Amino acid sequence: MISDHIRKTFTILFVLGFFAYLFGPLIIMSLTAFNSSAFPRVTPWECFSVEWFQFLGKDAKLIEGLQNSIFIGIGVVVLAVPLGLSGALMLTQVKERVRPWYYTVTISPILVPGVVLGISTLLFWDRVGTMFGASRESVFYNGFFLTIIGQATFISAYTMLVFISRLQRFDRVQEEAALDLGATHVQTFRKILLPFLKPAIASAAVLAFLASFENYNTTVFTIVSESTLTTFLAAKVRHGINPSISALAVVIVALTLFGAALHEVFKRRELAAEKESARIAKGEQVTRRSKNRFITDPAVILIFLVTIAGLGTIYFAGTMGLDECKAAVKAEKQRVVQERVKKREQKSMFQDAGRQALTPVPKGAGAKSRPAPGTSNFQGLFSPDNLEEQAGTKEAEQEQEKTRAAGTEQFQGIFAPQNLEEQSGASEEQQ
Amino acid sequence: MGRYWQEFFLRNGTALALYLLISVACWMLLMIILPQIFMLDFSFRTNVPPPLWGTEAHGYTMEHYQYMVYGSAQSTDSYNFVDLSVFGRTILTAIFVTLIDVALCYPVAYYLAHVASGGWARLMVMALIVPFWVNELLRAFAFKIMFGSTGIINNFLVAIGILDQPFDFIRNGVALYSGLSYAYILLMIFPIYNAVESLDKNQIEAARDLGCPWWRIHWRVVIPHAKPGITSGCTMVFMLTAGALAAPQILGGPSSLWFTQIIYQAFNQAGNWARGSAYAIILLSTSIIFVLCMMKIFKVKLGEIAR
Repeated sequence: MISDHIRKTFTILFVLGFFAYLFGPLIIMSLTAFNSSAFPRVTPWECFSVEWFQFLGKDAKLIEGLQNSIFIGIGVVVLAVPLGLSGALMLTQVKERVRPWYYTVTISPILVPGVVLGISTLLFWDRVGTMFGASRESVFYNGFFLTIIGQATFISAYTMLVFISRLQRFDRVQEEAALDLGATHVQTFRKILLPFLKPAIASAAVLAFLASFENYNTTVFTIVSESTLTTFLAAKVRHGINPSISALAVVIVALTLFGAALHEVFKRRELAAEKESARIAKGEQVTRRSKNRFITDPAVILIFLVTIAGLGTIYFAGTMGLDECKAAVKAEKQRVVQERVKKREQKSMFQDAGRQALTPVPKGAGAKSRPAPGTSNFQGLFSPDNLEEQAGTKEAEQEQEKTRAAGTEQFQGIFAPQNLEEQSGASEEQQ
Repeated sequence: MGRYWQEFFLRNGTALALYLLISVACWMLLMIILPQIFMLDFSFRTNVPPPLWGTEAHGYTMEHYQYMVYGSAQSTDSYNFVDLSVFGRTILTAIFVTLIDVALCYPVAYYLAHVASGGWARLMVMALIVPFWVNELLRAFAFKIMFGSTGIINNFLVAIGILDQPFDFIRNGVALYSGLSYAYILLMIFPIYNAVESLDKNQIEAARDLGCPWWRIHWRVVIPHAKPGITSGCTMVFMLTAGALAAPQILGGPSSLWFTQIIYQAFNQAGNWARGSAYAIILLSTSIIFVLCMMKIFKVKLGEIAR
């Protein structure tokens, strides 16, 4: 019994840990977007700020990438939804013997690495272009065209799976009845099958758009000289990280969550509609709710209002009092630097005195020897135990002089020792 | 054959039949099959500048595959140790990551399917989907922030005194492994969850009533039932991890290369498309062999995998 309890506790801890692993990184990343520190981090927390979001709006390349991503996403939806639909409709009609092969081929793009898909698309259309003698400006070498085609290759397989699962619940008798009653094939398709598939089309479209929007592996090869949001993001992350990427991440996470919620709503509606029609078929009384109940739902309105109020609060909290807070943080940093410098000065003076008493070193005896005392600023520069820290001190001192002299606040803290290590850390991580 | 098509047109009507045929043919030929064949063809051709493609100079050769194994003719090494070791490391890491994911996901999937009750379970399953919707690059970026030398993990470990100075997680590959395990974990948990969920609870209870210890229930009842799910999860995670580009680019330390990065370099930096496609073919065939092995070992069909 006791071991049972232990096991249960352990399981729950494991599951909690799993969810922490799942959400922890995303939450931390989102938090760093609101810290005024120039390096994305949560500790030490400096000031609550939304300035990193303001950077985003000014980035022309980002806006361009975003527009391209949306354009490509729409193109992929237009291409992948009909392709997936026809693939799913075809599946039930191909011969029994061919079906496993058909299924394998159509589903294979999901399993093929995205990199491979991108390369093969790029190469294929390049060769086709050469065959037709098309110029380099023609559609075969166009990044948008190639990306849409390349992404649609595997996204069509996603949409096909959506349609297959919907079609499994389709009753072919309905179609036959319509045909018997004199409807043409096109009419049957439009009036019977399409309405039945409508929710699946909606969810397939959302799925296709999101999959296209966040694709990187295929896009990076097919995009050629253009850029999308993901390739822009990848370039930015590789060239050095700063919190404006976190801010972008927060925006994208919020948008994708919105998209996912939309997807969920479509799915729910599909299920609800199905239940309703099942009940109608049973002859039960069904009270029809208004079609727009999603928009008029009080809960939805409430969530909407709370979101707006929350965003407003965050914005004001992030802009008001930011300057004072930053000034305070700066002052604190400076104080720490000064303290360190003072300590070091005292320490080195003490050591100098001690050493002088013990072993008088001749002037300029070697690299390790200490220059004559009295060269104020560089006291103890060559003493071995100072070696590791000396660079930081020196620069900190210089920085202090600079501030004293010019009063320029711009460079304050740039050379502070804590910043140095983070800069070197950042540059290492960039590689 | 003729009768089949007649029936096909009759059943669908001309317009719909044409739409089905044309779009499926376009998708399968122009987008799936022909590009792969062209890539295979291209990988066997010499590397000449684009204007010469299709001319005499653009003949067939094995040089790119040989390069993968033996390296360039000028090098003194008898084998191409750089590329081969990167390839080996990529495959081994992908297998390792897959195993980690199975170990992490199986207990959680079992918990969600059979232990957790009602509303909580539904909420948790919903919550699982959320990180999946977040961009792959951003997930890698999140790990970079966490594992940085002044990241929260280092700060925490230093603060509680386990480390006296920050540990370089990125250079040591810890960040890469956790980021990769994280990236495709949801493709592992959902197949396992679906498979475990379809298991009749009575079977577990029967085993328990007959005195089976808990680990034996898993070994003899739950895992055999979840096998297709586990296989499908393993296949997906392995293929996506081996073919990942974003996470290694962002989380890889200065010295660690991923096989896809070599392909990327061949295309975008060296401008050697032929070698890039040869390497892509190597990656693709390794992935296919892996899938076939998994299908053989665990006796599942492809239809069960891609679900």
